[in-house]
Amino acid sequence: MKFFQDLVEIITTAEYRNYILEGFLNTLGITFIAVVIGLVLGFLVAIIKVFARANKALAIPNTICNIYTTVFRGTPVALQLFIFVFALFAIPGFKVYAVILCFGVNSGAYVSESIRAGIMSVDGGQMEAGISLGLSEIKTMKKIILPQAIKNVIPAIGNEVIALLKETAIISMVGSTVGTLTFDLNQASSTISYAISDFFAPSIIAALFYLVVVYLFTFLIKIFEKELHKSDKHN
Amino acid sequence: MTNIIDIKNVHKYFKQNEVLKGVNLSIKKGEKIVIIGASGSGKSTLLRCINRLEEPTCGEIYFNDKLISEIDPYEHDDIIKKSKTYARLLSNNMSEEEALDTIKNNHLLKPIKEGKEYKNSIKKYLNDNYLDITVARSKIGMVFQHFNLFNNLTVLENLTLAPVELKLMNKEDATKKATELLKRIGLLDKKDEYPSKLSGGQEQRIAIIRSLCMNPDVMLFDEPTSALDPEMVGEVLSLMEELTSSGLTMIIVTHEMAFARKVASKVIYIDNGIIQEEGTPEEVFDNPKNPRLKDFLSKVI
Ligand SMILES: Nc1ncnc2c1ncn2[C@@H]1O[C@H](COP(=O)(O)OP(=O)(O)OP(=O)(O)O)[C@@H](O)[C@H]1O
Ligand SMILES: [Mg+2]
Repeated sequence: MKFFQDLVEIITTAEYRNYILEGFLNTLGITFIAVVIGLVLGFLVAIIKVFARANKALAIPNTICNIYTTVFRGTPVALQLFIFVFALFAIPGFKVYAVILCFGVNSGAYVSESIRAGIMSVDGGQMEAGISLGLSEIKTMKKIILPQAIKNVIPAIGNEVIALLKETAIISMVGSTVGTLTFDLNQASSTISYAISDFFAPSIIAALFYLVVVYLFTFLIKIFEKELHKSDKHN
Repeated sequence: MTNIIDIKNVHKYFKQNEVLKGVNLSIKKGEKIVIIGASGSGKSTLLRCINRLEEPTCGEIYFNDKLISEIDPYEHDDIIKKSKTYARLLSNNMSEEEALDTIKNNHLLKPIKEGKEYKNSIKKYLNDNYLDITVARSKIGMVFQHFNLFNNLTVLENLTLAPVELKLMNKEDATKKATELLKRIGLLDKKDEYPSKLSGGQEQRIAIIRSLCMNPDVMLFDEPTSALDPEMVGEVLSLMEELTSSGLTMIIVTHEMAFARKVASKVIYIDNGIIQEEGTPEEVFDNPKNPRLKDFLSKVI
């Protein structure tokens, strides 16, 4: 019964409600900006890696990209977070940017692999047909390859966004206090937990918020995927 | 000057594997060349070197007398003679001829160490003779074994994309031309379909007219009927036969010997990366000289 009493207390206390709301919005905001960074970076890296196969001039950028994806996929995000916040960008007032950057750059490494795999899954004959007609590789990539690749990539990107949303829950490891932009949903729940001396109810509330967002997002991705497949009528 | 394609001493290696071993071939405007040979003999590789889907390892390709491959200095005596290596060999009391042969046979040129005169002579040659491959490709059509229609575009979009993107035609003219060609092959009703809704024979005929929309000077066909169900081979071959009556230069790799005999102005037999025999269909099919060609023909006919 303590659980329900706690629930009621959290819902009826303006301070606790505000914690949850603030944390939730920060989580969404951080995830959103990190996703955008991840998509842009991931796309660039994927394109460099794909073009580097036939273009010696891209050998050095390609090596840099390979090091990037290997390092960021091969080490824990928590560790990357410490390095970003306390070493690379240990600048007063810069913490939230360091956090967002870290999640974005980390996500970019995974996204780039998904996009690259999506591009590679398009039949090589498509590129050959494009350049045989005198189109440039870049134009063929834009008009023919990417539109086909995107369909294969959307589910993987969706998963990456969901993973990132959940990963942001580790922000509190680098310290997040009420009223700052690093005060995320998970930290809101633990702040309330300490205040009411119980973890169960606050955690369940936070969990519900995460779940609802993930569920809605999954639903949107499904619709989007259907639209993509509808518009080209094949398969 | 009447040659539309010149293939000069082309070698192609895949890693250590030498697939083309010095191919020389000149093709005149309007010729219908059919290339035959056993599987793995290098037919596709040769065809793909012409529009540089494969990069020749050495040798050169010319299109309308313009160099469209990378320059191979060993094909140019006057360029070799500008090199420091050549000067050094002459000063060692070699004759001009000996020096040239020595350099060519041993590939002695060092790209960056042959001096300014050598570099400038290459630059000058390229300035006067080089044609960018993407420009050449817009005039060299290619038809693939597996059609390679753009899966994300409708039939009409497949046909108009390149001419419009390359600004060879505006959208209306391209659509008009595409519509005419679709009508000619009886597939106008498919113009808004996606390739996945078409039969193989329909796909291949559309792939052929996709090339025609570019008003090509040359068309390359790499086994255009090999991936088709037998009942669809005829429709594609008859469209190709129709094209032979135009001035279009055609280079066709095929195993359809009856078709080759009917349309070819010249048949070329490739084996082991080398042109082993070439001549009119009568010469090649009725009087083959090369024993391996005789053997090959006895198997396929
Ligand atoms: N991209 C490649 N990488 C490595 N080896 C290749 C490649 N393309 C072709 N080869 C090899 O080169 C040789 C010649 O191949 P090619 O495709 O030119 O033969 P082909 O005469 O067209 O045969 P087919 O009648 O089967 O099409 C083969 O041994 C093949 O394995
Ligand atoms: Mg072949």
